[in-house]
Amino acid sequence: MKAFEWANASSVDDAVKLLKPADPKADPDEMPRPMGGGQDLLTSLKAYIVRPPRVVNLKTIQGLDRIEPDGKGGFKIGALTTIVQIEEHADIKAKFPGLAEAAHSIATPQMRNLATIGGNLCQRPRCWYFRLENFNCRKKGGDTCFAATGENKYNAIFGGGQSNYVHPSDLAPMLIALGATISIAGPDGKRTIPLESFFVMPSKDVRRENVLKDGEIVTEIGVPASALAAKSTYLKFKERDSLDFAMSAVAAAVELAPDKTVRQARIVLGGVATIPWRVPAAETALAGKALSDAVLAQVAKAALEGATPMEHNGYKIPLTQTLVRRALAKLNA
Amino acid sequence: MAKKTIKVPKIVDGVPMGEVEIEVDDTAGATWGPNDKHRLLNSYLDRVDGPAKATGTAVYTQDVRPAGMLFGRFLMSPYAHARIKKFDPAPAMKIKGVKVVLPVVQVGGEVRFEGQPIAAVAAETPELAEDAVNAISIDYDVLPHAVTAEDATKPGAPVVAAPARGGGGGGGRGGRGANQGDPKTVADALATCDAVVEAEYRTPILHHCCLETHSLVADYHGGDTATVYCSTQGTFSVVQDAARELGVQASKLTSIVQNMGGGFGSKFGVGIAGMWACKLAKAVGAPVKLALSRREEFLAAGNGPGSIQKFKAGASKDGTLVAVDVTQHALPGIGGGNLAGQPYQYTAKTVYRQSTPINTNEDSSVALRAPGHPQANFAMESLMDELAYKIGMDPVEFRKKNANNEAWHRQLDRGAQAIGWANRNPTPGGGKGPLKRGMGCGIGAWGGGGSRSCVVDVTIGQDGSVSVAVGSQDLGTGTRTYVRAIVAEELGLEMGDITEKIGNSTYGNANASGGSTTAASLAPAVKDAVYQARLNMAARVSQLIGAKPEEVIFDKRQISGNGKSLPWKQACAALPTGGLQSRGEWKPGLSGNGAHGASFAEVEVDIETGKVRVTKMCHVQDCGLPLNRKAMESQINGGMIQSMAMALSEGRVMDAELGVMVNPGFGDYKIPGTLEIPELIPIIDDGDTRTVVIGMAEPANIPGVGAVANAVYNACGVRVRELPITPDKILNGLMKMQQIG
Repeated sequence: MKAFEWANASSVDDAVKLLKPADPKADPDEMPRPMGGGQDLLTSLKAYIVRPPRVVNLKTIQGLDRIEPDGKGGFKIGALTTIVQIEEHADIKAKFPGLAEAAHSIATPQMRNLATIGGNLCQRPRCWYFRLENFNCRKKGGDTCFAATGENKYNAIFGGGQSNYVHPSDLAPMLIALGATISIAGPDGKRTIPLESFFVMPSKDVRRENVLKDGEIVTEIGVPASALAAKSTYLKFKERDSLDFAMSAVAAAVELAPDKTVRQARIVLGGVATIPWRVPAAETALAGKALSDAVLAQVAKAALEGATPMEHNGYKIPLTQTLVRRALAKLNA
Repeated sequence: MAKKTIKVPKIVDGVPMGEVEIEVDDTAGATWGPNDKHRLLNSYLDRVDGPAKATGTAVYTQDVRPAGMLFGRFLMSPYAHARIKKFDPAPAMKIKGVKVVLPVVQVGGEVRFEGQPIAAVAAETPELAEDAVNAISIDYDVLPHAVTAEDATKPGAPVVAAPARGGGGGGGRGGRGANQGDPKTVADALATCDAVVEAEYRTPILHHCCLETHSLVADYHGGDTATVYCSTQGTFSVVQDAARELGVQASKLTSIVQNMGGGFGSKFGVGIAGMWACKLAKAVGAPVKLALSRREEFLAAGNGPGSIQKFKAGASKDGTLVAVDVTQHALPGIGGGNLAGQPYQYTAKTVYRQSTPINTNEDSSVALRAPGHPQANFAMESLMDELAYKIGMDPVEFRKKNANNEAWHRQLDRGAQAIGWANRNPTPGGGKGPLKRGMGCGIGAWGGGGSRSCVVDVTIGQDGSVSVAVGSQDLGTGTRTYVRAIVAEELGLEMGDITEKIGNSTYGNANASGGSTTAASLAPAVKDAVYQARLNMAARVSQLIGAKPEEVIFDKRQISGNGKSLPWKQACAALPTGGLQSRGEWKPGLSGNGAHGASFAEVEVDIETGKVRVTKMCHVQDCGLPLNRKAMESQINGGMIQSMAMALSEGRVMDAELGVMVNPGFGDYKIPGTLEIPELIPIIDDGDTRTVVIGMAEPANIPGVGAVANAVYNACGVRVRELPITPDKILNGLMKMQQIG
């Protein structure tokens, strides 16, 4: 890795100051970087994917590692909260089961003890070509997406084109299905936005995966109480159960009427698109219906409408259809 | 140890009362005796180095850090094929703390694979060494490459000339020679067959995945002596290489291998990392460590060759394998590996075999646990399975019909019982629901014999201590434990009474650990040494207790005879200062050759996701005398896991256009984790009554690959002929079957 300066942030404001780039016109991957658990940053540093002049340690900021009730039945989760804290939180497990499942599906116990929710949402893609030290793909400022014609088994079937990575976060699809918000602090102050509008596709900005501007950090995730929360689930398909990113994943949450028809539903796909991929057509197809096998099959089909597989990832369509069906069947049980 | 019956005077209360027959240890020469008559051997012994390894106190090469040590690092080629146009180390040498930059490939020279070392640097810290590598100014002429078999065999493909074989072992054992048999005879025989299968099987290049990457610490300070610490399978094979690079006499160089973190065939000799650690140390006159990073290990530490094997083979309805026409291509990168010759362990009436490697711009293949066997075995066992289904014969029975060694028959029956073969899915893909269960099997063969190479010294001290010394390394297979056990058993002592000294070239010579020959080469020498020690001890003690030397018995830390008994320590107190030295060497009759194994797998395939989960695996293995059953079962378990991984998840992936490996890390080159491990049933084949030591580490990972692949077919009806069998291949196979209807 490239040598960098290490700075401990004493507060959010301090972190924002420390993250201020000396050269605002520098390459996005050469800006100062914040570090939470470091689980993604370390691998990115070692492969020279990011080359920050300064790494700002956020772990020295007090109070960002807590899960607190929001007073309205939901939770405020500090950005430095570890994955294992979420996974083991009794109220989250009881009231937002899908979120606990998503947390549990991540990496390994050792990594979940270090990795943070903020880092999980901001981690960089795992595309093989993006991670190759010696190849400057479009996402790294080059002019080619090597995956488009290369070994693209794990790449995107939605939202690609300019670049064809998949967004690696497991928490993101589930949090979006639960209607979560994200709070951001930066040189221009603080703002809170729906998590769904946090992520950006490569067609908008191929160098970044989200709306964070240079010098901005994530401070908190809001998970509101909702009629969807109780019936939520995260179904992740891994090639290797012990440790893997999603080949495909489905975050689903439904509100059922007393007659077991669907009042409202949210379905967000992971591991198949450049952003967490919400499928409104499938959600609409569910509305007012009971979760019968026929409906599930129809919804699964709708969820994968418009997919544009490449040479080696066509299997993701039947695989994801299965996951959609199974996730919804589980919520109906 | 062997016993014999002799007549001795019967003494009651000190008074001779005629003669009595007693059983004593046989002194006519060392033999192991019957396998079921051992006190320590052939039992479940804890690994003596287990606590040190579990607690982290065991010292490995990468832990060694002599004072003043510098860190070495390679500049590696980013290209699969290029010529060095310009090389300027000056910018690197300007960095404070960087001590030396040496070119590995000269300007004008070619690099022929991604990751080929181009230059080596030594610096005060690993970070500075990396900075130095990045600072070197270098230009390349990029040349056309071929990293896939398809590209390498196209008209006009770039020439990937194979170099002279060197260094790393070069795969391929048991080859039956290229272009064997008569094609016309085979073609005629195929025309008479009731069933013919034409199929092409492929396996990717594999990696050893040693937890300790290739590494060497050259503790050299100028002058004419040196000590090297190397992660190697050959304590002694390092000596000459390292001495040459350091410019010292081999007799003045000590090689130390106290513990090593896995080799699997990739660590004979000093290797490229070791060679350049020595060259750097020589250049600066200071100790240097060079340890490959994980990525470098994937790119440049040698691989297990991939394979393409094309068959046209036929059987008759009665289950006879009639004719096999096969073309085998090993894919050994720039190296020269090959594959075990088909039809592997089976007998066919007529065979035509062609075999040629296809070279690509990738690092050279080296030996990888049973070189060339799992690849050949997967293809042959898949083919056998396809034929069995085609003629409607039970796959186990079909194998028994065509494998002509009774060991395999015994093992197939035993394994079939353990896995529950009788309950297997009758129709591939049959049954309700998305989860399909299936079973498969396979058999494998290996040599495992020993040879004259080891020299072992046993020293019995005046204080009662017993040490056994030999330079041999413990590759991880449990050498320390069985060395102790052989000595303890012969002298009537316990495991804790013995100290073993290994992994040092100043001790007695030993062979490198390859081909599963360590146990069969070393155990007889240890046995011979301690047998001599027992005779020497008996000769001395017999005078003390008034017994004839041949009547002396060693048991329960006592030495007895003539109705008297001396505690071990008391007997040793009578030894001269410096104790009693005894030397042993390998002797014929204590080791054997020829290992057989059979694997069974039960899998569950989710036909809606393509997920294959191995639920149960069983492997039956013979080995003559099992030295330590616990280590052996562990070895069998490891073999099953490795073969399962080859079947389901492992494989190098190359980008054909860029010429580079796209998955050079443990995140993307997928070895199994704890959640992938099925119920494992290791079975030591006690039906094998040979009273000789036979190596069994490699055979344990041969037949499992085909067993898993065949179980997948039995479960879901998809025959995946290209490894690894990943979910996408199952789903694609199912979609294809649906299209065909």
